[in-house]
Amino acid sequence: MTAGEWIRTTSVYRSVIRHGVEPTNRNRSLIIFENLFLHVHPVKVREKTLRFTHTFWLGAITTASTIILFVTGILLMFYYHPSVPQAYRDMKELQYVVDNGVFLRNLHRWAAHLMVISAFLHMLRVFYHRAYRPPRQFNWVIGVTLLIITLGLSYTGYLLPWDQLAFWGVSVGTNMVKQAPLIGEKIRFFLLGGNIVSENALLRFYVLHCVVLPVVLIFLLSVHIWRVRKDGGVQGPPEHDPSPEGNSFDSLLPAGREKGLTGGGDSSS
Amino acid sequence: MSNIHLVESNDPLATPWHVALIRPDQRPSARESEERYVTAFPHLIVREVILFQLVVIALSLTAIFFDAPLESIANPVETPNPAKAPWYFLGLQELLHYFPPVVAGVLLPGLVVIALLVIPYARINLEAGPLWNAEWRWKFAIITSIVAALTILFAAFQCWPVVIPTMLIGSAALASKRGRPRWLWEVTLPEWIMTWFVVVATTLTLIGTFFRGPGWSWVWPWTAVPRA
Amino acid sequence: MVSLRRLFALSSVAFLAVLAVSPVKNSMRPYRAIQKEYERIGMARATTLKAAQAYASNPIAIRQIWIPDFDNRVDRCTTCHLGVSDDAMTNAPEPFTRHPETVHTPKDFARFGCTSCHGGEGLATFEADAHGRTADAPSPVLPAAYTEAGCGRCHLGDFVSDAPVLSNGRALMEQSGCFACHAARGHEDFRSDAPPLDTIAVKTGGEWLRQWLSNPKGVDPNATMPNFRLSRQEIDELSNYLFSRPVTPELQRAVEAAAAEPPGNAANGKTLFAESRCITCHTVGGKGNGSAPELGTIASRATRGWLIAFLRDPHAFNPQTRMPRYGFSDTDVRDIVAWFEDDLRDFNAPKSILDPLRVNQTLAERGEKLFKTAGCFACHIKTTKETERFGPDLYGIGDRRAVSLDFGKRTDLPRTLEAWLDAKINQPRSFATGLKMPTFSFDPEQRRAIVTALLAMPAKPVPEALRVSTPRQASLVPAGTIGAIVARYRCLSCHQIGTEGGDISTAPLTFEGSKVNRDWLASYLQLPYSIRPILPERMPVLKIPAEDAAKLADAIETWYVDPSIPDDPFAGRPASDRDAAEGQRLYTTLGCRSCHIIGNNGGYYGPPLTDTKTRLKSGWVFRFLLNPQRWRADIRCPNYGLTDSDALRLTAYLETLSSHKETRR
Repeated sequence: MTAGEWIRTTSVYRSVIRHGVEPTNRNRSLIIFENLFLHVHPVKVREKTLRFTHTFWLGAITTASTIILFVTGILLMFYYHPSVPQAYRDMKELQYVVDNGVFLRNLHRWAAHLMVISAFLHMLRVFYHRAYRPPRQFNWVIGVTLLIITLGLSYTGYLLPWDQLAFWGVSVGTNMVKQAPLIGEKIRFFLLGGNIVSENALLRFYVLHCVVLPVVLIFLLSVHIWRVRKDGGVQGPPEHDPSPEGNSFDSLLPAGREKGLTGGGDSSS
Repeated sequence: MSNIHLVESNDPLATPWHVALIRPDQRPSARESEERYVTAFPHLIVREVILFQLVVIALSLTAIFFDAPLESIANPVETPNPAKAPWYFLGLQELLHYFPPVVAGVLLPGLVVIALLVIPYARINLEAGPLWNAEWRWKFAIITSIVAALTILFAAFQCWPVVIPTMLIGSAALASKRGRPRWLWEVTLPEWIMTWFVVVATTLTLIGTFFRGPGWSWVWPWTAVPRA
Repeated sequence: MVSLRRLFALSSVAFLAVLAVSPVKNSMRPYRAIQKEYERIGMARATTLKAAQAYASNPIAIRQIWIPDFDNRVDRCTTCHLGVSDDAMTNAPEPFTRHPETVHTPKDFARFGCTSCHGGEGLATFEADAHGRTADAPSPVLPAAYTEAGCGRCHLGDFVSDAPVLSNGRALMEQSGCFACHAARGHEDFRSDAPPLDTIAVKTGGEWLRQWLSNPKGVDPNATMPNFRLSRQEIDELSNYLFSRPVTPELQRAVEAAAAEPPGNAANGKTLFAESRCITCHTVGGKGNGSAPELGTIASRATRGWLIAFLRDPHAFNPQTRMPRYGFSDTDVRDIVAWFEDDLRDFNAPKSILDPLRVNQTLAERGEKLFKTAGCFACHIKTTKETERFGPDLYGIGDRRAVSLDFGKRTDLPRTLEAWLDAKINQPRSFATGLKMPTFSFDPEQRRAIVTALLAMPAKPVPEALRVSTPRQASLVPAGTIGAIVARYRCLSCHQIGTEGGDISTAPLTFEGSKVNRDWLASYLQLPYSIRPILPERMPVLKIPAEDAAKLADAIETWYVDPSIPDDPFAGRPASDRDAAEGQRLYTTLGCRSCHIIGNNGGYYGPPLTDTKTRLKSGWVFRFLLNPQRWRADIRCPNYGLTDSDALRLTAYLETLSSHKETRR
């Protein structure tokens, strides 16, 4: 018996991991639906959704960059004080003193750019594949909201280094907000915690960037992914024309099932 | 249909095995096809992991070779020239150059967001077939007048980054009426509109990023001097 | 198509490899290699095993000096500059050399850090960033030539001992009148001592004024007025304006009356001129002090009438002038000016050099505008409110970032602040057309001093606790009669009383009453003689009348005393302390003769002691002997560390010395 095999016989192991390692369908199913995180997937998926050209994996790329941003973001939070002028000094400390500080910050920054770009491309992909059609309309709305939250995260994070680029970039942006009729000034005051970009604005943006917007993002992202699952999985290039009235359950019926309406690869959990 | 039962009970204990909702004017339809299903683990999960690794690799390489910018400490008294917004807002800032702030900063972005949100609820998006599918002449007239109106409107504000793509895409849309090439003819109206929007937004953002220098004046990127 | 497994294996390996790059780069940071090199050099230089082991046991880590009270300063220079306080590292290769010994180094590193004197980015641990050589650098390291600018950020006084370049620079800026056009912290109420131009019309001629305006230093090498590079047209306009200005009626009358007087005796005038020791401030043919105008061609510069009227009462013409009002008689002045007319004239000048200009009204009006737009008003009109300064202010100029400077046409300069400042002072108008700063003629050393002084002006002052400035004392010169006498004879032009006054004389008067005997002082004031032959400057014979001299001597005796100096140092001391013979023996043993004269022999370096009893008070002599540097740090008389008794004996001996004559010529 190898060491691995022995470990797998212990009760500790078996209390944590409830599936075997033999390549049986049963094990493969168990891996999916015995796992909190993995069981948002169906146990079986349509093979054609696995192809690269189906969705270009854009949603997954966006999610991957989100995860990277969370990890690097939390690590950066260990070194950052949202006060003036300490914030800028902390940027310098990251550059000069912190081990891997430069790499950490760079990774965070480029991941942020990637997230914005891939979210936008993902939206375009969904649009051109007409994957917003019923029953996926509300998921599209959630997606647009996610895009706006992504831009918000990027914008609030932009101020945090407190250098000339950050300060003036945010000044320009909040000056544009001021132009909204009736409520423009109030929105600007709320965003900045004052009338000018100052320590209050920095603190506010920090809270928005590290607490409020990430929580909202996770919440909406969870709903978004859950809905993808419930709407029958990712929809790639439109395979066939829907009926003229857009039967809302048309796409629920997976292509290729026999009559009898037995759901195929969608065992509810 | 021997295995279909009609259940009219509200008894929660009477658990149906299958549920079918039959609309009065439809028959339950059945489709034939040969779709293949594979188990999510390993096929989907491993692909997701590999994708995550590739994203990390790509971003790490970028992070190793390219540094995030850091300028001098924020100084409210010293305005850099030009003062630029983050890149995803540079399109808006470029638009600010032509239109008053209410329009460029509030109205247009607001309209864009609303238009995006409404997409799945607009009939035209749900029903769309190729643009020139039917009613050619009427459509031709409408589209020509809309393109012309947009061109004139934006030209009146001398907003060339919008005018030029509008003319280009408008002409392409009108030209696609010919029927050839086929893929061009198949483009639906919502797709034309979205394409127009994306091209305009990209143009504005590229100009704002690379072609604007001190005082928001036009510069060629290869001659630009690093700003103070 | 690669199988999924193989792809997964490849991507996992690449994943780990890419993530390992940053930690590897980290372990190869430059400071680590440098610290290892230091260890190696230290061990090679160590003379004991213990010392060598100390070097080896130093951990490889970032080192920093953290001073929370000083702007929360963090200086990591010592991460690479490891040997700055290590005696064994004298003359080691850079960056390990021991810091040169100065007033504050290497003992005060923990108090002040490094960047407060040298500039640079203290937080950085990479060479280029630390030395401020990157774009966007907040403060680059100052080149060694300007290091004293660092001193000036805490030491705010005009004179900073141990910082000669800085002190020179600050003095030059004060003398050259920079602050008349440029506002600066601490000099907001600066007033230029440029003369008022009210009497030009009766003072000089159009031709002379044109020569002056086109190149002041060419006409008078002592001129502090810079060259405004005026065009011929502009000179015409200004001259017309200046000649059109109305002259104060009293002054006009005085000048015209003086012009009508009979000529004087030139030979007598020459003698008077020599006695008056005018070259204590002026120069003739380049010889003299140089803080007042060159007089070699004075008769071609100002008219006879004006010169006579001026010499009789300089303060009426220029209340700000440093020139005293001599007690000349009317004939004295005529004689002196007669001598000027004979000998001190420009023999090559045209006869019309002093002919007054016939005013053209149009040109005069344009000249009036030019007077403002060219900046003449900044020095020559007395009210310079801060908002009306002609040039840009100098607040924080020492911290200006090089990227924010406009180099204009000067593409030949390195893009640093010090290069910009130096070029600006040297050739102010070379950066662009239309600039108005005039050209001063400083040599490279003077420019270096001025740039040092400028670099010492920070954007944000250092914390209060670290600032060192000489507090401005209230004036010790009284009002009333005494004040009027002091003002008339301009004692403060040469002497210092308290914190005000000039430094042409080496004798401060603040405690003069404790130093000299009243009678001697009264006779000296009437007829000064040379106390210290080795000095070039002599107190002029101001012809102070006897009663003014008496009043002054009384005032000095009464007020300018040091209460800690005893009237009678021998009081309460044993009799043996009065032993003058013992004192004489000490005089010989200590070798005082090498610098001082008694009777006919001795050295010329210090003042002669033949007349000590007449001149000096015993209490003062006693205190001086105990510590010669007590009143001035640069006194050359050595401190022999005398005991009180020895000092008293020497004093007793010196107090026996008297020449019996009350006055000496």
